[in-house]
Amino acid sequence: MASLKTFIKAVRKAKTIADERNVVKKESASIRTSFKDVNLDQNTRRVNISKLLYLYIIGEKTHFGQVECIKLLASPKFIDKRLGYLATMLLLDENQEVLTLLTNSLDNDMKHTNHYVVAQALCCLGNIASLELSRDLYQNVEKLMQSKNAYLKKKATIVASKLIDKNPDLLEFFVGFIPTLITDKSQGVLLASLKLIQSCFNSVEETDRFNLPNTYTTLIGHLKKLITSGYNPDYDVLGINDPFLIINLISTLRLLSTVPDLPAKNLEMLNDVLTQICSNIEIGKNVNHAVLYECIKTIFSINSDQSLKILGINLLGKFLSTKDNNTKYVALNTLLTVVNIEPNAVQRHRSIIVSCLSDGDISIRRRSLELSFAILNESNIRILIKEIVNYLKTTDDNDLKPYIISQLILSIEKFSPNDNWKFDNLIKVLNYSDNHVQIDYISNILSLVIRLTATDLKKSILLKMFKLNYENDNMNKNKLGLALTTVWCLGEYFELINNEHIEINDEKVLVNDEKVLEYFKILSNNSNYSIGETNQLTSYIINSLIKLSNKFSNNSSLNQIKLLLESHANSSDLEIQIRSVEYLQILTQDSKLRKGLLSKMPAPKLKKKEMLTLNDSTNKRSTPTPKSHSDNRVALENDLLDFNDDVEKKPEVVIKNDLLSDIFSNSKSTSANPRAHNDILDLFDAPTVSHTAPTSVPVAEELIIYTDANIVIKFLPKSVGNGFAQIESHIQSKTSQAITNFQLLIAVPKSQKLTISTNNLVNLVSPSDVIVQNIKLTGKEGSKVKFRIKFNYHLNGKLVEHMFDYSLKQNL
Amino acid sequence: MSIHYVLILNRQGKTRLSRWYDKTYSRGAQNKSITEIHRLVSSRDSKHQSNFIEYQEKKLVYRRYAGLYFIMSIDINDSELAYLESLHFFVEILDVYFDNVCELDLVFNFYKLYAILDEVYLGGEIHEVSKSRILARLTELDRLE
Repeated sequence: MASLKTFIKAVRKAKTIADERNVVKKESASIRTSFKDVNLDQNTRRVNISKLLYLYIIGEKTHFGQVECIKLLASPKFIDKRLGYLATMLLLDENQEVLTLLTNSLDNDMKHTNHYVVAQALCCLGNIASLELSRDLYQNVEKLMQSKNAYLKKKATIVASKLIDKNPDLLEFFVGFIPTLITDKSQGVLLASLKLIQSCFNSVEETDRFNLPNTYTTLIGHLKKLITSGYNPDYDVLGINDPFLIINLISTLRLLSTVPDLPAKNLEMLNDVLTQICSNIEIGKNVNHAVLYECIKTIFSINSDQSLKILGINLLGKFLSTKDNNTKYVALNTLLTVVNIEPNAVQRHRSIIVSCLSDGDISIRRRSLELSFAILNESNIRILIKEIVNYLKTTDDNDLKPYIISQLILSIEKFSPNDNWKFDNLIKVLNYSDNHVQIDYISNILSLVIRLTATDLKKSILLKMFKLNYENDNMNKNKLGLALTTVWCLGEYFELINNEHIEINDEKVLVNDEKVLEYFKILSNNSNYSIGETNQLTSYIINSLIKLSNKFSNNSSLNQIKLLLESHANSSDLEIQIRSVEYLQILTQDSKLRKGLLSKMPAPKLKKKEMLTLNDSTNKRSTPTPKSHSDNRVALENDLLDFNDDVEKKPEVVIKNDLLSDIFSNSKSTSANPRAHNDILDLFDAPTVSHTAPTSVPVAEELIIYTDANIVIKFLPKSVGNGFAQIESHIQSKTSQAITNFQLLIAVPKSQKLTISTNNLVNLVSPSDVIVQNIKLTGKEGSKVKFRIKFNYHLNGKLVEHMFDYSLKQNL
Repeated sequence: MSIHYVLILNRQGKTRLSRWYDKTYSRGAQNKSITEIHRLVSSRDSKHQSNFIEYQEKKLVYRRYAGLYFIMSIDINDSELAYLESLHFFVEILDVYFDNVCELDLVFNFYKLYAILDEVYLGGEIHEVSKSRILARLTELDRLE
């Protein structure tokens, strides 16, 4: 049988993957066969297992050798034991029954006279540390912790901590060693005992921690001695005496300082020693930073002195100004966590934070961006927004853009010094945000424009946007956010800029109805947008067109509006098609009615949007948190067609809705039940399809129409058909927490009439509680049954809302 | 609080060492992670990027030495700088032990590589930080064979 070396060489020589597979397969098979030999000698076994390990490292299957590993480590020869233990640690996982075979060998070897054999066994136990092994072997570990040999004592202590991590019940056997261990002369034992202290601390209940041995003062003493003692060649790392021990001492002290009743004396001692370390270690090498970083982490985790906190933040500032990306990375990360504790101190490092926006490392850029938003306030908004907008302009990181844009819009809205500045910057943001601005935020900006009372400003905003849009290089680019905003504003405020002159590419241009229509046409012909984007744009354009129909006086322009609308009346997008047809209808109405219909949009309520955080740790993209409309429980109409809620809906439509329904509905008074707001969805519903009248079919099949972690909504159709449907809705809770103030709202197409009985319950406390409501629906026979369902409730004092559409399989 | 796993990969993604202290990874998950980690690490620009990557709700601390990536996975809240320093410490020992270590040393002597790792880290905890002691022990171990 070939040696390990020959085998490795053969694998390496393989020129193709197929060749390699062949070599591996062959060797694997021959190892397998040899293991079947009951009289296999240990030497062959060892060679085979070493090959098996090589197979393990390169990611091959090795499960068949597990028992062999244990046979090998039972050999009396050290060379066999050593490889046997290595193989056992690598190839076995703790769930395997084979592990029970191991217990005996470990037990024997931990009593071995050769301490290198004992060390092998300890190492194996520490690395595997299964629950069963820990139960069977903790006494051996206990004994070894009292060994005179520091090498074994140290290993046994670490193993003890690992056993406690796995099985906290074992704490009582080991915790008593701590006081003697931490006074041990051996540096290694001290290092290991710190781990034991941490494991003990973490495995007892918070209330029992005072029972643990008090090590605080001793540890502080060690720390003090370390930082004042001279050069020690064994443990020195680039001029720092034993940094690993220092770091572990500090982190252990940090952990011990988290108890609620930490004596003031202890805190004072820690404060002193941290101050001493922070002021004695220079910025420069990684190891220095590692020690300082541990101090800084501790400063902000304990209730340290104000002066120490400032010292900590200044150190982070120094970290940021180094050239080392690692140091910058940890500094930004830490600043992010302390910005809430010490906002002013962090502010002082603003310029360095901002300069990190242009760093070569994306994770540094992300963090400095997040931090920039975190420190943004009224006093620094001008400078910070300028920097961030610049960043937005230049960055290629499209994943990050929605986050930047939404944060920019929210911050500008919140902190801007005046309206002029506000809109100046909002337009800049729109201009640089290409297609990445979320529709919600466009609505936000639009409502800000509506609320603006200064006509002059409105006018200049509109002119600026129009100009930006029209500039040559913009027309061919994707600037959806800017285009949507401009289109909407033109429809609403065209008269403000009519007959004004603007300069487009150094050319004076008169803004009039023709120019606007030309602009719309250019936009419509921009083929850079996706289908969805084009539809969105078209929706905005046709709305703008109908509004403009009231503002244009020129007959040919009016005619163009009509032609444009007609061109969309055949749109494959249902929404656009319906709207175009309706608008064409409006065009035929007399001017007085149109004037009322198309009057200006009143300012809607501004929605509060929460500031977002970039959850970088999981690498998730930022998405806006679910909007909470806690205050305004307005009528269903408004909610369902909410200004911000739905991407497809256009702002004007919301308001016109009722007016339109007056024109198109037969009679409004049909809806007697206040809950059945039938009139609201007419505009959005597909034309009903007539079928030959089906007979009424009683159906009792339970339909789960909605379910999430908290609730389940079921529909029990009692009967559907003959233009009538009767459905029972059942709402049940799935959580153990109480759901209160449950409210179910349902809307149906205009052509149908809906009544809902009042709910029997409003709170769901136990799983057996069921809210039952009867839903009756009448409408044209054969028409589809479509619901828009919305519910809201309180869970843990928080409002939860959701809206969805559901249609029945059966027709009326 | 401790290291979840240590890996040594070469630039082509071949594994030279893998030690999983965290036993929750199945063999399949290990291999999958290794592939992903290699992709992450090898696509980074060592001059302009930090040595830390957030991965699977944990943090990778890595460093490239010649054609090899030395990688360890730690908790999000653990000190990256300290672990980076310990990684360097480990490599320094390899360098002395193998007398100017190169990739081939690690390929053919992988069992020694693991032995050295086990002298520095036990169960994912650094437990010896004296170079001279570790080297003396390794010599002793080799003598016993």
